[in-house]
Amino acid sequence: MVWISLVLFSLSIFAKELPKFLTKHPLDSLRFVSLDGRYAYVQKKQGVLGLISSFRSEDFLSESSQSDFLVKDSRFKRRLIIEVIPEHQREYNLAKNHKIKVVDWGKTQLKDIGVGRGARLHLDDEWITFYDTIDKTINIQNILTQKKFMIRLPAKTSPFFQPEIEMVSSDTVVYSDVNEKGTVALIQYNLITQKSNILYKSSQSGTRLELCQAKGYMGIGEFPYDDISRNSKIMQIQISSSTNLAGFTTAYSSTDSDLGNMVCTDQSIYFIKTFTHLKKINFKSTDVVKLDLKTTQVQILSEMNTVNQILSMDGRILIPFRGEFFVIEGSSNITDDKLKAPVRSTEELPLEI
Amino acid sequence: MKTLPLFSLNRLYNYSGAALLGLCLCFSLFAQTTPLPTPPSVDYPGMIESLEKLIQLDNKKFQKKNDELIKNGTTINDFSTVSSLEIDPDYLNSIILHSKPGYVKLASTNKCRFYDTLINDLLRNADGDIRNIFITFLNKNKERGSASVVKKEFINKVVSLECPETPKLIDEFQVKNLDKTIKATNFDSPAGKDQCHNVYLDWLNNSRTPYYCKVHEFIKEARSGSGDAKDLVQRRAIAAILEKKLDVQQRDYLDNLCENLGDEEKFCEDFLNVSFWSKIAAGRENKIYAEDICRRVMGSPTLNAIQLKQCIARIKKENDLCMYPAGRSQGLVPAPQCDTLATALNFSSLRADYRDCPSTSDQQAITNMARLLLNISKEAIQPYNGSCSTISTGVTYQFNKRFNNDENWNLEACYMDPLAEKELCYKTFIGSYGTVPESYNMVVAKILQNTRGADANVKCEMIDSEDYNPLLLQYKSGCYIIYERTKCFMSQCKHKILYNDRSIDFIKLKNRITLDYFPSNIVNERYSQQYMLVNDYRQKGRSLNNMSSIITFFKKSKKGIIHGVGCAEDLLPSFFKVEAFNQCSPLPFIIDGMIRENDKTVFVTRSAVDSLQAPRLISWGSVYSAVKSYQRQHPLRLWTLYGLD
Repeated sequence: MVWISLVLFSLSIFAKELPKFLTKHPLDSLRFVSLDGRYAYVQKKQGVLGLISSFRSEDFLSESSQSDFLVKDSRFKRRLIIEVIPEHQREYNLAKNHKIKVVDWGKTQLKDIGVGRGARLHLDDEWITFYDTIDKTINIQNILTQKKFMIRLPAKTSPFFQPEIEMVSSDTVVYSDVNEKGTVALIQYNLITQKSNILYKSSQSGTRLELCQAKGYMGIGEFPYDDISRNSKIMQIQISSSTNLAGFTTAYSSTDSDLGNMVCTDQSIYFIKTFTHLKKINFKSTDVVKLDLKTTQVQILSEMNTVNQILSMDGRILIPFRGEFFVIEGSSNITDDKLKAPVRSTEELPLEI
Repeated sequence: MKTLPLFSLNRLYNYSGAALLGLCLCFSLFAQTTPLPTPPSVDYPGMIESLEKLIQLDNKKFQKKNDELIKNGTTINDFSTVSSLEIDPDYLNSIILHSKPGYVKLASTNKCRFYDTLINDLLRNADGDIRNIFITFLNKNKERGSASVVKKEFINKVVSLECPETPKLIDEFQVKNLDKTIKATNFDSPAGKDQCHNVYLDWLNNSRTPYYCKVHEFIKEARSGSGDAKDLVQRRAIAAILEKKLDVQQRDYLDNLCENLGDEEKFCEDFLNVSFWSKIAAGRENKIYAEDICRRVMGSPTLNAIQLKQCIARIKKENDLCMYPAGRSQGLVPAPQCDTLATALNFSSLRADYRDCPSTSDQQAITNMARLLLNISKEAIQPYNGSCSTISTGVTYQFNKRFNNDENWNLEACYMDPLAEKELCYKTFIGSYGTVPESYNMVVAKILQNTRGADANVKCEMIDSEDYNPLLLQYKSGCYIIYERTKCFMSQCKHKILYNDRSIDFIKLKNRITLDYFPSNIVNERYSQQYMLVNDYRQKGRSLNNMSSIITFFKKSKKGIIHGVGCAEDLLPSFFKVEAFNQCSPLPFIIDGMIRENDKTVFVTRSAVDSLQAPRLISWGSVYSAVKSYQRQHPLRLWTLYGLD
């Protein structure tokens, strides 16, 4: 009886009403805020991105009036990516390239990188990868040395396909690719020797691979696309000084057609699981769960029935839901107006002071 | 004559129910005549009695009355001398007991429908075909009497006076006029349960239904060889003529209608539950829905009828065959599995008889708008040159030009005019569509005429670089625009121009096509596509922001569709992942059908990146999330989900 009630306890206790994310900045203009609320990147007006910190507010990026911005971080907290989306409300194109820029954490000095989508920072934020949808090339660039590499995907790749890319070391890139029959594979590519090998190939078509990295491991999720009934799986590869990625373990496996959209942290993987699926009319009810990597226990964290996405912002894990954001991990209320003491070595202060 | 009493819609047209009603009629106020005595050899029927006994009783009553009226020779010579003419209630009972329930239901809608059904031999009595009609009337002395009237006389003396539309209908269904009548009739298949209910009721109340069912019964009888053997050859010849006037889809439609007039569920089942693939195999649906799939399955760029049928047989069994169709520039893949796709197509009503290659579209607002416009106008697709997304661009450009919004069409082909010593630019779109002068082909030709002295008749042709062979003689003269298929879209196109085998590089494409789908600011509201659609094009539109309004919309509007813009990350979350805070990629979409199972509702949806032939089933929760999230991002906080009637 005690065992049963403990199980129910773990299933039920987190499936409660989640707190809304509250900040002192209007949510619709916010593009990034650090976990402690010290730095916020805000779209002050259309086409203008500003940084607001304790001691300054500066509009540092001005693009055409119809531009929008995406600001992405990584677990290393040294740099941020800014993707400028041109003509956001007037050019409806899911495959258009964005202008990619990089800025140091909490700073405003920009560095132009290139054009593409799906930009990610790797390896202590020294490397950046992104995908050019027109040329169908994966671009890998060292931010400090400017060294550039390129991996070309087949010309027949769908324009809406965006590969998942992770860097394991400065010469090893792992990315996903798909063939004409819809079979997806994970490919390891050596930037120096320019040789590749297939780490994993799916046994079923109609699925996609997701990659995420945290301390010491890389998570690989295989999930079906919408309207397709397939099994779901999450695997784990331990990352160490050796770049041999041959051995991976299955941390989660299910016959349900889960949505995925994984977020990895050091101890857990958060993803969206399907709880009910009426296959005839493709009706699903989906919620966020947390997979504990040590125990492989799955915990239900939400009760919304139509969760589609999860996102991590400086370690705070959020559910974007119908124009609002609900917090799963991290503080939910950063409306505190008290000024924080400057971080002397890193924070830029206004010249007047 | 009094109208027939209103019957309830359920169960009544089972034979036993009808017979009970018939018996009730005997004892109701409608029974104006003195009831005939029950034949002594039959037990008096109670409320629960075998059908055979009821029919037996009715037959005996009918024969007795028939003999009596014929023996007495009671006829009416002058109909003007009688009043309160009614069909004999016992005669009505006989009709109810011996006719098909569907035709009884049709006959009961109103008096004239009853007469029409009678005229077209759809009703039967105890004798089989109706030749005489028993009536009751009040004579000059206000006494009620009965008479038997020959059917032809009844039609001439009673029907044509009481129902003036009937002679017109008879004329419409003469063989010489049948083509015109069929052309004017709507045989559209409903795309949802509510739509089907409306369509079913429309047919029940349609004055032409008895005449169409007569055509159906005539063809059926001739085919089966039943009826009088003496004139079978003639009837078969006429049936062959009638069959030719209807296409396969129309013949199947009438089969379903006339056989299931009494049962709405069965009528609708044919549209909603029969596999869509079976409908394609039977020729009832356009084979375009299966062509790209079957080219992949059969491994052949062309398909004959046998290959198509073989492919469809496989599609019905192997669910994954539909996910990755062949064809250049198809939409978002994977498409739904075959069973889900068939369900979606069964409930879909959007026009999809052409391909519009969404993966070569870099302006999905144009793709979506063109789908709406072609669905509304039903105009034929004009000849085009270039990628098939040119169809969308051409149609949308013409729409914008018609309402004076071409000035906001930014894409231009420019060159430096040596005489004017300045840059001249012409509005254009990539590819050519019909004879639209702003087609890139025509604009390039015009520039060549102005700068290279090209002939006034010169025509430029767009050629896919994979099809271009520079060694062929045909490319040595004339004007060709060689484009790279994977890098040629609506707004930008990697291409080279050859004129008389010489490269032309002074023509530049400038700007990109940018449009407001819904207004993004108040000042330019008038130039948004939605504004022009509703205000200038006069398409009735209304905002739909909850499930009840959408359900009501589909119930009331037979061919209505819903369009909107939502965040792709909510609409298609497995294809588009959120990577940053407040990420929302606007994606136009169209909803053209609804499926409700228990309390769950999903919509037949095509986003602008989906293939026209591969709609998806998306739940209301996801649609609502997508539109709500987009509302947050929209500069005017608009709710961007509209129904168009």
